[in-house]
Order: sequence, then structure tokens, then C-alpha cells
Amino acid sequence: MRSTESVIELRGLRKAFGTTLALDGLELEVARGEVHGFLGPNGSGKSVTIRILLGLLRRDGGQARLLDGDPWADAVHLHRRLAYVPGDVNLWPNLSGGEVIDLLAALRGGIDRGRRAELIERFELDPRKKASTYSKGNRQKVALVAALASDAELLLLDEPTSGLDPLMEAVFQDCILERKAAGRTVLLSSHILAEVETLCDRLTIIRAGRTVERGTLAELRHMTRTSYTVETERPVDGLATVPGVAGVIVDGQVTRFEAAPEAIGEVLRRVQSAGVRSLVGQPPTLEELFLRHYGVEPAAPLEPSGDAHSH
Amino acid sequence: MRTRTESLAGSIRLLRLALRRDRVRIPIWVLSTAAMVGLSAGSVRDLYATAEQRSGYARLVRDNAAMIVQAGPGYGLDEPTVGAILMNELSVWILILVAVLGVMMTTRHTRAEEETLRAELVRSAPVGRHAAAVAGMAAVAVAQLLLAGAVAALLVATGYGAAGAAAFGAALFGVGMAFAAISLVAGQVASTSRAANGLALAALGAAFVIRAVGDVQGGWLSWASPIHWGQAVRAYAGERWLALAVPLVVCAALVTIAGSLADRRDFGGGLLAQRPGRAEATARLAGPIGLALRLHRGAAVGWAVGVAALGVFYGIVADEAEQMLVDNPQMADYLAGLGGGSIVDAFLATGTLVIGLLAGGYLVSAVLRMRAEETAGRVDPLLAAPMSRVRWVTSHLVVAMSAAVALLLIGGLAAGVGAALTTGDGALVGRVGLAALAMAPAPLALGAVAFLLCAAAPRWAMAAWALFGLSAAIGLLADALGLPSWVTSVSPYRHIPALPAVPFRALPIVVLLMVAAIAAAAGCIAITRRDIGRV
Repeated sequence: MRSTESVIELRGLRKAFGTTLALDGLELEVARGEVHGFLGPNGSGKSVTIRILLGLLRRDGGQARLLDGDPWADAVHLHRRLAYVPGDVNLWPNLSGGEVIDLLAALRGGIDRGRRAELIERFELDPRKKASTYSKGNRQKVALVAALASDAELLLLDEPTSGLDPLMEAVFQDCILERKAAGRTVLLSSHILAEVETLCDRLTIIRAGRTVERGTLAELRHMTRTSYTVETERPVDGLATVPGVAGVIVDGQVTRFEAAPEAIGEVLRRVQSAGVRSLVGQPPTLEELFLRHYGVEPAAPLEPSGDAHSH
Repeated sequence: MRTRTESLAGSIRLLRLALRRDRVRIPIWVLSTAAMVGLSAGSVRDLYATAEQRSGYARLVRDNAAMIVQAGPGYGLDEPTVGAILMNELSVWILILVAVLGVMMTTRHTRAEEETLRAELVRSAPVGRHAAAVAGMAAVAVAQLLLAGAVAALLVATGYGAAGAAAFGAALFGVGMAFAAISLVAGQVASTSRAANGLALAALGAAFVIRAVGDVQGGWLSWASPIHWGQAVRAYAGERWLALAVPLVVCAALVTIAGSLADRRDFGGGLLAQRPGRAEATARLAGPIGLALRLHRGAAVGWAVGVAALGVFYGIVADEAEQMLVDNPQMADYLAGLGGGSIVDAFLATGTLVIGLLAGGYLVSAVLRMRAEETAGRVDPLLAAPMSRVRWVTSHLVVAMSAAVALLLIGGLAAGVGAALTTGDGALVGRVGLAALAMAPAPLALGAVAFLLCAAAPRWAMAAWALFGLSAAIGLLADALGLPSWVTSVSPYRHIPALPAVPFRALPIVVLLMVAAIAAAAGCIAITRRDIGRV
């Protein structure tokens, strides 16, 4: 699953603004060719991390490697190989969208006219309008077209689809999958979980400037308990005592509980001996994973199962 | 009746918000203006202590076109008091200052606020359509009252009469509010705060020229200029209180006009509609210099028009100054004492100083534009491209500094042409043009220091304006007030030889250019060492 070469490697990254600690030992590793989801609650340090990667902010501690260089010292050299889309796009009010796209492309050393035209068409952007008259979604499209038309080997996307309508969101997802198929690497910070679930190979979840979870979606799910609903002829004996099982609720013949992967064998044995009629298992959605790490527990409270991601 | 009150709903809250936002700015304006007046009042009192000194001043200044252009009609100089002398030296500049305060502060709380996204949040609350404008004007009125009160109090404290102090304070308030109202109307016509400020400041420039021409002619033309309304109050020269009605009535009328214009336009829009742009960039936009040219173009052209108009005006009036010489032997002696330059040359040297100050003001505003680009987040996509920070800042510096030098040349040539046309001396074109060009090191040094502030101490970037204000005050008032040289040497303009009235000296020019180069280089180093953004 994991490629040997990493495109982004952040170790113990620290950044303070005055007395406020924005990043406190953040870890992030993005492998070549993957789409990497970068998640975290508002103010957790995602944008600060991306701005450090862009060499706009200077890290106070830790190691940072971007492509084959240092994001601060080699900024200009590295920027030939990456494109960036901010979540809050502010454009020069008296330039048209088309002019902004061409300007950013010219700085990067040229543009594929065909692809530019194609992207403008796909995103249904009017390039003649002045930036001051664009809506938020349209400003976002300008930045997306400029970045996607560049064929950069790394895309740094900081909530790139905020303000896009669902049709444009679909266009964006297509574009990212095409980029991925072409072997490009994407770091995608987003709050749109369906987008992350569709696009991302691996995730890093951060909170308060620290990495709290990383891995593939399957791995993250594996580390979290799955919810089960079983219907049995007799009550299930001693289910709550099985290590790794939590939240047992008995409602007549129906029992609901959550179980960690290592508890499944024992759980099945006990359920079977109680005369199972039906069994439904539901893996945690990304949203549930998310809520756990963002600090808001899902409806049924989970007890710590002993592994690292409890809080 | 109901709609009227509804359109003002929330004004009081917004006024409190405006005063809260300006709780540092207003005291800075008030204190620095009061300090300038206090310093001047003290010097004039000491310099013109005897009747002989005062009548000497009056002989030199009365009916002298060059002085009238800079200062005003010279009310009360028939039997000069220190108050009348102080007003003649100072009033026009303080009136310009309160006008600038009125313009900038009004735009800041009305049109500039409307450009931001937060204005929609405010308007979505139960806040009336005219509440922001009314609150903005009220905030300006508070600031102007404080400023006028501080100035009047300081005059009384320095030993000047109370009636004149009250009259001058009232004149400052009236003119300040008249320009606030002009700015309010400009903010309805233009759809950006920069354009609104540009329109209102152009009106200020026109007001200066109109009153200068009117005062020299001695006719009614001056009454077309709001600056004259302030001077017509005649503080310390037999006060004419009725003149105060003019700015206040005009202010009320303009506010009404602004209100009806506001009813006719969309929120966020102006009366002048936006045209569509190009679908593709031309080759000229390709790169940082192209972008910087595009960003600075509008403002630079506006300043160029203003400088050219002022230059032509100074040139044409220069001839009047010469004719005055025939009637005023004292002036001829005075000039002979200065080193033998002609009165036309002395006058044109003042003109080039004013043009140089304008170029400096332009350059400071253009350099601060760079900082605005950064805080607005517009520089992020540029620096995310393979473009170094040094390339980014130098693109702005090169364009802004070239524009400033071009302004000098345009203003100088315009003054030269104006003077050549009226005096018939064609050689003046080249001489005045070169004299203005020789000013270049002063605005360049000022701009480079402003850049160094932006790069090394971005929180203090606005202090560049203080440096400019100090330079302007020293440049325009130092001689009249007899300021000590350690004070005046702060201004780069003091080190430039006053061409064409005195001979050229290369050393100060070279030193100033070196200061500019060192500051710019230090700024380039500093900008690569700090975080980019709203630091």
C-alpha cells in the first residue's frame, strides 16, 4: 500500500504565533502518487501546515521535507513542481478570471492552452468577468483551473471546494482522479467527508496542532469498533465482559453493541450459542471516525478500548 | 416617516463601532496636528515679538503672489498681529490636513467597509440603508471636533486670543466636514475605496489651485474652493463668523445628495458599472512586473494628472511673482540676500518641493500597497508559484519608484512649460524639469524606508505616513518657524539643493540615493526572513 518515496514528510513540526501554539509536534507523510486526506477541526492547524509547506511561514521546530527539498529554503525551486489552491481565494479585483489564470500560469512557466480551455469549460467559468464580480464559488474555480491546468506533480489543496455547487464538486472529483491516474500527488484538506472518502487513499487527522490518527480508511476503520445489531432466540450471555466490546444495549431479543476486530471471534461464538436469527454489522462511517477525533462523540458513547486513539 | 427612521436604524451602534475601530487613529491625528500647531504657534510668537519684526514680515509677504499661492490672501497683515502671521503661515496646511482626515476617514467607514465581506453581515442585521454613512459621518465629526478643540485649546494656551482660536477651530471643523461630505458622495459614485479616495483627493487638489488663483486675482473665484471657506472666517483678522455657514450648508447638501445616490445604487456597487475584462491575459501581464504595472497603473495615472495640473499652475503663476518684484523692493533685497536667485526661480523651487512631496506621498502609498496585497492574501498564490519574495517586492519597488520619478519629471516639465509660456523664457522647461528630477532621491529614500518598515516591522508599516507627514511639515514650514536644524535634518527633502534657486550640489544627492539603496537592500533581506501573511 505504502509507496517507498514520500513527497511530503513532516516530523514533530512546531509553530507558534506569539504565545499561541499553532502546531505542536505535527506528523504528516504523503507518498508519491497518492491522494492524501488532511482532516481536522477548524483551527487545528491545517492551513498553517500548508503555509509552512509553501514556505510562507517558517517553522519553529521539527523537520520538514517537501519533494526533495526544504520548504523554506528551497521554496522557489520547489514551487516549479507544485500548485496550490487556497480555501479562501482573494483575487485582484480589477483583473478578469482569465487574466489571473494566465498570470499564475506565466509565473509557473507556461500553460497548456488546450487544457486551460477544457477546464474552463468543465468548470463553466466565465473568464471575462472581473474578479471583484465573482461569487465565492467562481473565485474558487479560478484558483482550481489555474492549479489543475499546470500539470504540477504535487497539488496542495486547502479546502479547495468550499463554495462549489454539487455539480462542480463532481467535476472537481473527476479532475483529481484523473490527476491521480496520471501519477500526480495530492494533499487534500477538506471538511467534505464524502469527497475525502471518494478520493483519498490515506488520511491524516490532526487536532490542536498534533496528528491524532493516520492510515488508510480501512486501517482507521479497523482500529475502531464496528456496530452490530443481532437478533437471538435467547439473551446473549456475558457479552459485555468480552474484551473489546462496549455499549451493549439489550432490547428484548435485539442486542446492539460495538466490538473491536479482535473481539469478533468470541462475540460470534456467544451470539451463535444464543441462537442467532440475524446479524447486521456496520463499519464506522468516516463521519463517526471524524466525530470521535474531533472531540464530539457519536450518539452511543464508546469506552476506551485500550488503544492509542482514545481521548 | 417610518422609512426615514428605519433607514437609520443601528446608526448609534455603528458609530460606537467606528470609534472603537479608530481608537488609536483619532488620537494620532489629533495629537500630531495639535503638536504641529503648538510648535508653530510658539515659534511665530517668539520670531515676531516686536511690532518692527511683524511689519517686516508683512512688507515681505503682502501682495506677494508667491506667498499668496502658498498661504492665502493674507488677512490681517495691514496691522499684523502674531495671530494673523500664524494664520498666514499655517492655516492653509492645517485646513488641507483636516480635509485629508475627512476624506480618508469617511471612505474608511463607508465605501471601504462596503468592499469587505463583513459589511454584508452588518447589513443583514436590522441596520438601515443609510446607517453606515450616518455613523461614518458622525465618527468623522467626533474626530474633527476633537482635533479642532485641541488646536484651539493649544492656541489659547500658547497665548493667542480665544476668539481667534475659536474661529480657527470652527473653520477647521467646517472644512473637514465639507470634505468628509465630498468623500461620501465620491463613495457613491465610485465602486472602490481607492477610486473614492482618488476622486475626493482630486477635489482637494482642485480646491487648492482654485483658491490660489482666486486669491492672487483677488476676485470671487476663491469662494468656489472649500479651503477658502476656512480662511474666509478670518481667524485673528476680524473674525467673520457668518462664513462658517458656507461649509456647513454645503456639507448638509452633499450628505443629502449622497443619501439619494445611495438609494439609487446596489449595495457594494457604484454608479459607474464594471466592464468585462479580457478572457485571456496579454503578454504584458506575464510576470511580476506586468502584474505590478497593472496594479499601480490607475493610481499612478491619477497622481500624474494631479501633479501635471499643479505643475502648470505653479509655472503660470511664477510670472506673476516676477511682476510683483517691480512693486516690492524689499522682496528684491530679501532675494538678493538669499544668494542672488531670481524671484521666479525661488518660486519655482517651492513648486518643485511641492511636486517632490507629492511624489513622496505617492510612493509611500504605492509601497504600502504591497503590504495590502500581503494582508489580503493575494500574494500567497504568487509566492506559491516559483517566484522568490525578492522578485515579488522588487517588482513593486521598481514600478512604484519609476512611477514616482516619472511624476517628478511630469510635474517639473509641466511647471517649466507653464513658466516658459508666461515669461517667454523657453530655457525654463529644461531647468525646472531637471530641478524636479533632482528631487528624486528624497521621495526614493522615503519610499525605501517605507518598504523597509513593511519588510522588517510590518505592524509598523503605517508609520511610513508619519515619516512622510514630518517631511512635508518640515519642508513647508521649517523656514517660517525657524526650526532647529537637528529637527529639519530628519526630512530627506531638506538635503536636496533648492533648484533652480541655488546651485546644484551632488553630495547630498549621492548620500540620499545610498540611504535609499541600503534601506531597499535591507528590506529585501528582511522580507525573506519573516512569515508572510497577516503577521
